[in-house]
This record gives sequence, structure tokens and C-alpha cells, in this order.
Amino acid sequence: MPKNPVNKKIHLPQIFTMVKTLLSTVLLLATLSVFAQKKYTISGNIQDEATGERLIGATVKIKELPQSGTISNSYGFYSLTAVQGTYTLIYSYIGYQPIVKQVVLDKSQEINISLHSKSELAEVVISSNKPNDDNVTSPQMGAEKLNMAQINNVPVLFGEKDILKTITLLPGIKSAGEGNTGFYVRGGASDQNLILLDEATVYNASHFFGFFSTFNSDAIKDVSIYKGDIPAGYGGRLSSVLDVKMNEGNNKDYTVQGGLGLISSRIKVEGPIVKDKGSFMISARRTYIDLFLHASSDSTIKGSSLYFYDLNAKANYHFDDKNALFVSGYFGKDVLLLKNTFGTNWGNATGTVRFNHLFNNRLFSNTSLIFSNYNYAVEDFQSADYFKATSQINDVNLKEDLQYSPASDHTIKFGLNILHHSIAPGDITTNSSSSFNSKSVEQRYGYETAAYINDEWRLNNKLTLLYGLRLSGMFLLGPGTFKTYDPAGNTITSTTYASGALVKGYFNLEPRVSASYLLDDESSVKASYNRNTQNIHLLNNSTSSTPTDLYVMSSNNIKPEIADQVSTGYYRNFKDNTYEFSAEIYYKWLQNQIDYKDGAELLVNPDVESLLTYGTGRAYGLELFFKKKYGRFNGWIGYTLSRTELKFPAINNGAYFPATQDRTHDISIVGIYQLSKRWSISSDFIYGTGNAVSFPTGKYQIGGLTTFSYSQRNGYRMPSDNRLDIGATLEGKQHKRYHSSWTFGVYNVYAHRDPYIISFCDSKTVPNTTEAVETSIFATRIPSVTWNFKF
Amino acid sequence: MKYIKLSFAILIIAAVAQSCNKVIDLNLGNDSGKLVIEANITNVGGPQYVTLTRNVPFTSTNIYPPVTGATVGVSDDKGNNYPFTEISPGVYSNALLSGAAGSAYTMTVTTGGAIYKATSIMPKAVVLDSITSKTNDFDPKKHRREITVHFQDPAGVANQYRFLLYVNNKQVNAIFAINDDFTDGRYVNLDMNENKTDIFPGDTARVEMQCVDKSMYTYWYTLQQQQFDSPGGGVAPANPPTNITPNTLGYFSAHTTQSITLVVK
Repeated sequence: MPKNPVNKKIHLPQIFTMVKTLLSTVLLLATLSVFAQKKYTISGNIQDEATGERLIGATVKIKELPQSGTISNSYGFYSLTAVQGTYTLIYSYIGYQPIVKQVVLDKSQEINISLHSKSELAEVVISSNKPNDDNVTSPQMGAEKLNMAQINNVPVLFGEKDILKTITLLPGIKSAGEGNTGFYVRGGASDQNLILLDEATVYNASHFFGFFSTFNSDAIKDVSIYKGDIPAGYGGRLSSVLDVKMNEGNNKDYTVQGGLGLISSRIKVEGPIVKDKGSFMISARRTYIDLFLHASSDSTIKGSSLYFYDLNAKANYHFDDKNALFVSGYFGKDVLLLKNTFGTNWGNATGTVRFNHLFNNRLFSNTSLIFSNYNYAVEDFQSADYFKATSQINDVNLKEDLQYSPASDHTIKFGLNILHHSIAPGDITTNSSSSFNSKSVEQRYGYETAAYINDEWRLNNKLTLLYGLRLSGMFLLGPGTFKTYDPAGNTITSTTYASGALVKGYFNLEPRVSASYLLDDESSVKASYNRNTQNIHLLNNSTSSTPTDLYVMSSNNIKPEIADQVSTGYYRNFKDNTYEFSAEIYYKWLQNQIDYKDGAELLVNPDVESLLTYGTGRAYGLELFFKKKYGRFNGWIGYTLSRTELKFPAINNGAYFPATQDRTHDISIVGIYQLSKRWSISSDFIYGTGNAVSFPTGKYQIGGLTTFSYSQRNGYRMPSDNRLDIGATLEGKQHKRYHSSWTFGVYNVYAHRDPYIISFCDSKTVPNTTEAVETSIFATRIPSVTWNFKF
Repeated sequence: MKYIKLSFAILIIAAVAQSCNKVIDLNLGNDSGKLVIEANITNVGGPQYVTLTRNVPFTSTNIYPPVTGATVGVSDDKGNNYPFTEISPGVYSNALLSGAAGSAYTMTVTTGGAIYKATSIMPKAVVLDSITSKTNDFDPKKHRREITVHFQDPAGVANQYRFLLYVNNKQVNAIFAINDDFTDGRYVNLDMNENKTDIFPGDTARVEMQCVDKSMYTYWYTLQQQQFDSPGGGVAPANPPTNITPNTLGYFSAHTTQSITLVVK
């Protein structure tokens, strides 16, 4: 019988009182200003004139009230309240021609705006209005929004436009290296990033061991990455949130768009369901490296497969001005099959149903029901060794998010989130003649819950405050048998729980505050403090990630991971916001970090929690970022100086050691230039000092073989790596109903050998000595060509 | 199930055929002079050996200075003591000791003013039935062969095994350690996957199978996880967990041994 009550360190009634008090205070502050004078609300939707796509994060400003202003939300909706008067409203969004409107505000009104894309215009029009200065005025720190047009121009491997590769060109974000999935943000581990596709969690965001991401850029509308100062509406991971929103589909016209490349091809079909009211979009992508395999004369290679595919599908319908329904799904899979020998496949599947409802012109609501699944299977076909191993994680998530805009100086967001996890950690099925037994690890179930509130408060025309609180809860439930282990890994207790019984619960309060103070029209300073907690942990003890990584929830053995981050920065724009500069420093404290005992075998192991050891960490750094977003030439330079260290009593004699992903210097330079009307060229250059790594310091002989001895963990560095890529796009001549373009690229132009791994062994050439051998994967330049079309 | 990690590793390399290797110079520290104890007790009569050496810096030649003049002894759990005498520098042996299944043996080494102790339990012998050769899964074109071992794992008992592979009398630089977490009670056919030594028809392959205790299995398995240095696998390297206290490099293992030789077809 369960006898473990909810973790008593924080008392539930006290928390509810705190939350109620906070909620009332915020609403009181907000409504006080409302009752002062007669105020009216302007609200509506902002969309792309040609396609009907709602624009996310478009800026709405009132020229006469510099401290007012808002941005459109994830559904293109905005709401701005001001005192009665006559105003000049400026609607703007990068890549689009701004719209200026004179408004007599003597009653609340709905103003819907359609912005013209600049690329749509016959000539390039230089805007006379100031480009966006949100990076200086908004208190949001440590965040970047990616412009899809820029992603489409950045040259990447194999010519595959790739969001995950592009974000690693930003300061503070590092790639996990060739052949590895994942990325590191401000020193955090790769499982500390929350990757969302239309609000659904994507567990494995890459195909083919990290060479390609699961995001088909054709289908993506908006990408935001939060490295620190994560808004209260997001939670569940320590280091970052990558929020990816897909296109809704053109609701005016049918179009077919796609590309044929050397390695893969993609296609997108979209159009209206009912013109201007509803639309759909379907996009698909597949690689065909294995078609070359079929040409082989060897029968094993001929019958083998090596491919991945993605499918994105969406539909939406706006019933009226106040109600809209969105349905979207993603399905992707990687397949590797060596005929008659071995096969593996893994993939994500997500589905979301979302309903927007406008209660009134100040209160916007979104309700989402989300399904997410990640699964993998490994199968060995040889009869003497036959086995099939599978594992999966299934999430069902209900979210309610509300946005309330009572006044021009307050924007309040609040909501609830309930997420149910169902994890099958590993199942092996075999037959009677196999060397292996069938084996199954008990399924695990749990809830992650959260309630949050957040207010953006413009105190005056210099100071803006963003403050919020997220209360997160984790409940591990039965049915099942749960063991508690001591630090040596021995079982102390073993208890069986009935279905739905509470095994362990945790509550955590996560304050999220930040502030920006304008020094003058073009510069500001900001500061923030964030607490984030994480209740789902990726277990993997190898130095690289594989699709067979194991997910476990916080439990009676594993405590929630906690990160506290403080950051401060200076922001300065030049030449009317054409150039942006920022310098941010951060410091992160990490608690309850996980590492593994020696010889830990994590695969299909019911006692996997006995193999873990716990410690703390700290990460700190400086990020410098200089960016040009407008004009014929644009691009950026990013530099990161950072350190990440971990401290585990059981490792390195309890002294701090650098985390594997610690890289001291990281530089990226990206440039995109519109050479002529039809040609544009781009290039990127990266330089980074090496990851921390353990190298031997001595050697001895054991078991007849030369064996290496180590004196510290991660005491050395891999050699630094650097790479230059170039690309070019040739736009085809404009036909009436058809447009094409060619994209060319060269990856690793000067064929630099980026070391992938350094290993140690007996020398093959000089007897009785040992040597270090460096292996690299891409030591040559790789060209690519893609032909793109649009009907 | 190292098969999974090995398969991923080889598939990455095969699929992205642009990888290449280069010998490089590294400035590595000078960790040397640490005591290494390699002590083995088998169930087969004949001299048992304990070797004491010291480790050397990475850049030195592979000659490990012996530790002479130490006092080495092994006792069993029945009160018998077996002293080891130094027969050549750093090599200590005892010709009378032969390990019995189920007995716990304790080794004591006194050198340099410190006393090192370790305990290992001799497991019950499991019979290696046979070894066979077949075409290598991952390289059919080159006519390379692969060795498979065959044995019956006893059901209901935790068993740990370590295999050594010799091709033409030269030891293959790979560690093979498995337990029966996935194979308890089954007739096991284990492929000895390695990519360090090519085996061709006509070669002589010899496999030694050892039944080892739990702490020795963790020692060999940790080394195997680290030796697994091809891309896609590999745990962060560190010294493997020894069963000797106070902590030193090396181990003390009481294990059964059996060898089978095969001429590869």
C-alpha cells in the first residue's frame, strides 16, 4: 500500500494562497489603470496579404504613445487598449512593408491588417519607418526569433535547409557535432531543450544520427529560441525552449511547392478549404540514399534500406471572428535495414487539436489537446540471435492559455497545463531458438502539471518589467513495483502500487522575472532571473547520443533537476535599428544532475535507477551578437565565451570537472547578399575550440592488452574546429503561374578536417609504442544542388 | 546488448564513407609509476601468476617496469594460505594452488610500505561447447570471417563471462565481457564482433572462455565500453573499478578457464 505522501517540503495550501495573492495583485494593478479614464480597445488579426498566413510577433505601435504597443500572438491576434483620442497606428513585421493607419479611438474597434511581403513587390522599397526596435525595448532576454527567409539562405550540409543547424550559428547555442543529435544551450545537456512543433513535444528532433533535422523548412512559419529568461508559459526543461510553428496553409490560392536535391526531395501542397476562412497544408520529405544501394550487385546491399521521411499536415477553419479550429499532425520515421541481418527504425508522431476563442476584444483563449509519441525498434533477424527490442514514450497533453490585455501598459498571460506520460522503457521479444530471453520492463505513468501567470508591465517610457510565476508539479503513479535504492545501488525498499496510486510527487515554484531599462532611444540594459525545473530525464551514458536513449520521470530515486539562471545585458541599435548589438552575460546553477556508475548497462534494465549518481553544475558565459537584418546585405556575427562544470562526489574525486559540451570560444559569422535581382549568395564561417574530453596520461598492460590510465575526467580538449560553407541561389525568370529556382552549395569549402574522435592504440608502424589517432567524418568539401519549384 | 551500439557505429561509418584517420601528436600528461597488480587464479592446476608492474607515460615504449621484492600471498576461505614466490622480476607464482568453485579467495600484496587486498569468488565452471566461423556480417566482400562461441547458460544463476580471442597465436585487441541478464537459461550463440583483426580462411582461431565473478565482470565490461572507441559508442574513459583496496590499477580475478582452437574455413 502506498505510504509515501506528497513531498512535504512545500505545503500545498500555502502555495495556493501565494498564487491567489499574486493573481489578485496583478489583476488589481492592471485594472486600476483601466478605471482611471475612458479606454477603448483596438484588436484584430494580422496576416500575409498574399497567402492569408497569420503573422506571429508582428508589431503594433501607437506613434503618439511611445510606451504603448503590442505584438501579435501565435495566432496573429493582437489587442491594444488606449485612452480615447486620435492616433497613428504602425503595423510592421520583418520582410513586409509596414502599414500606417490613422485611427479615431472613440469606441472599441476591430482592425484586421494584411501586410504585403517585400519580396512580392516589383521593386525593393526602402521603408521610411524605423525597423523594429523590440530587441532594445522588450525585457525579453536570451531569445532569438528566426526569420524563415534567412534560414532559407544559410548554406548547410547537403543543401538541406535546416532549423537546427541554423540555430547553432547563434551565440550560446552549440551543435553536438557531426553524427550526434541534439544541441547545447548555455552549457546545458542536450535533453534540457524543449522542442515544440505546434505545441507538441518532439523527443528526437533529428534524422539519421543528427545529420538532418525533423523540421521541413517549407512547412515552418516561425521559430523562436529562448536560451534564458524563459517565459512562464513554458516549462519542463532546464536550458531552452525551441518553439516551432508550422504554416497554416494558403487560404486564398492553391499552390504546389517543392524541391529536388541530390540526397532528398520535398513537396508541399496547400490551399483554401473555404476561401479566406479555412485552409490546409500538407508537406512531405524523403531521402533516397538507398536507391543507390538497390543498384548494387551484392544481394545483401541490394535488399537493404537507408532512408527517412517526414510528413506534416494541417487544416484550419475560422468559424467567425471569435472562433477558430486548428488540426495539425507530424509523422516522421528513420529506417535502417541490412538485409537478413539487422534492422532499426525510430520516429516521432504528433497530433494537435487547438481551439481559439475570443471572449471579448481583450481576452483571447487557446485550448489545445496534444498527442506526442516517440518510439524505436531494433531487430536482429539472424535465427541464432533473434530479438526485437522496442521502446516508446506517449504523451497526452491538455493546455489552456489565456491572454488578457486590459491596458496599454499591461499584457497578462496565464494558463494551465496537464501532461500525462506513458513510458514503455524497453521490451524484448525473441523466439525459442534465440540466444536471448524475452524481457520486459514495467511501463511507467505520470503527470506533469503546471499553472502560470505572467505580466508585462510598462511602468513608464523607460522601464518595462516582465514578471511571472510558474508552479509545476510532477506525480509518478502506479501501477507497478517501485524500488528505492541506496547510493551503492542496493534495493532498500520494494513496494507495489495499484493503478493511479501516487508513488511520488514533487512541487516546484519557478519565478521568472526580467526588466529592461531604456538608456536612450537606441540602447538599454536588461536583467533577469529564472528558475526552471525538469521532470523527464534522458538517460544515456555514451559520449554520443543514439535513438535508443531512455526517458525516465522523476521518481522516488530521481529528484527533479533544477536550474537557476541570472543574466544581464546591454543592447544597442545603430543607424535607425538597421544594426543590432547585444552583450549578455549569464550564470546558471544546476542541481540534481545525473551521471552513471561504472559499467552501467541502461538497456532494458528494470533497475536502471540503481545505476545513477547525482551532482551539481554551474555554467556561465558572455555572448556578443552583432546583427544586420535589413538591406541587400544582411547577416550576423556571434561570439560566445563560456564554461560549464559539473561536480559529482563519485567522479573525479568530487572536484569540479568540465562537462563534455564545454567549449571555451565559439564564433559564427553569417552573410547573405542579394547580388542582383536573380542571384543571391551566402556564406557562413564557424570557429570553435574543442569539447572537453578525457585523454590518457599513462599506460599499462592488463589482460594481455595495452590499457590506458587516466588521472582526471575531461581534463583535455579536442582540437579546435573551423569550417567555411558557401551557397548561392538563382531565382528563375518570373512566369505567370510557375516559379523555379536553383540552390547551390559547398559545405566545408577548404576541406578542413574537423576531428570527430581521438582514440589511442598500439602503433601499427612503430612496434612497442602507442599512438593517438584522429578520425574525422567530413574531411572533404561536399557540393550540393537543389532545384526548387512553385506553382 | 553491445550489438546495438556496434551496429550503429559501423553503419555510420559505412554510410558516410568520407571518414579518414590520421596519427597525431598530443601533449599528454605524465602519469607514471603507479602500481599495477594483475592477479589471476584459475580452476586449472599449474602455476598461478600475480604480476606487479608500474605504469609508464603515454609516449614511452610499451615496457613496464616490474615491481620486485614484494610479498604476495593468496588465502582461501578454508584457512589455507598459498605464498607466491618471485620467479622473475615482477612475476610471482604459486604452483600448488588450483581454484575450487564457490570458494572465496583473498589476495594480499605488500610492497612499498602499503598492503593491498582483494577478494574474488571462483564461479562454477560453465562448459564452452564449441566455436564456429562464418562470414562476417558487415563485410561480405572481403571474405572476412567471424568467430561465434556456443554454450549453455545455466538457468536461475547469475553468470558472467569473459572471452579472449587469439588469431594465429596473437591476441585480438578487443575485450568481450557478457553476463546473462538477457540470456539466462538460453543456449547462447555469441558472435565475437571486432574490427581490430581480420580473420581469413586458413587462420587458426583460439578462444578462451572464463567464468568470472560480478566485480570482475564490471571491471571488464567498463573497459569494453571504453575500448569501444569507434564513433557512435563509447563511455567517457576513466580507470575501471578495481576490486583491490586501497585503490590501485589492476585487479584480482578467480575464474574458470577453458580454450578451444579452430582452423577457420
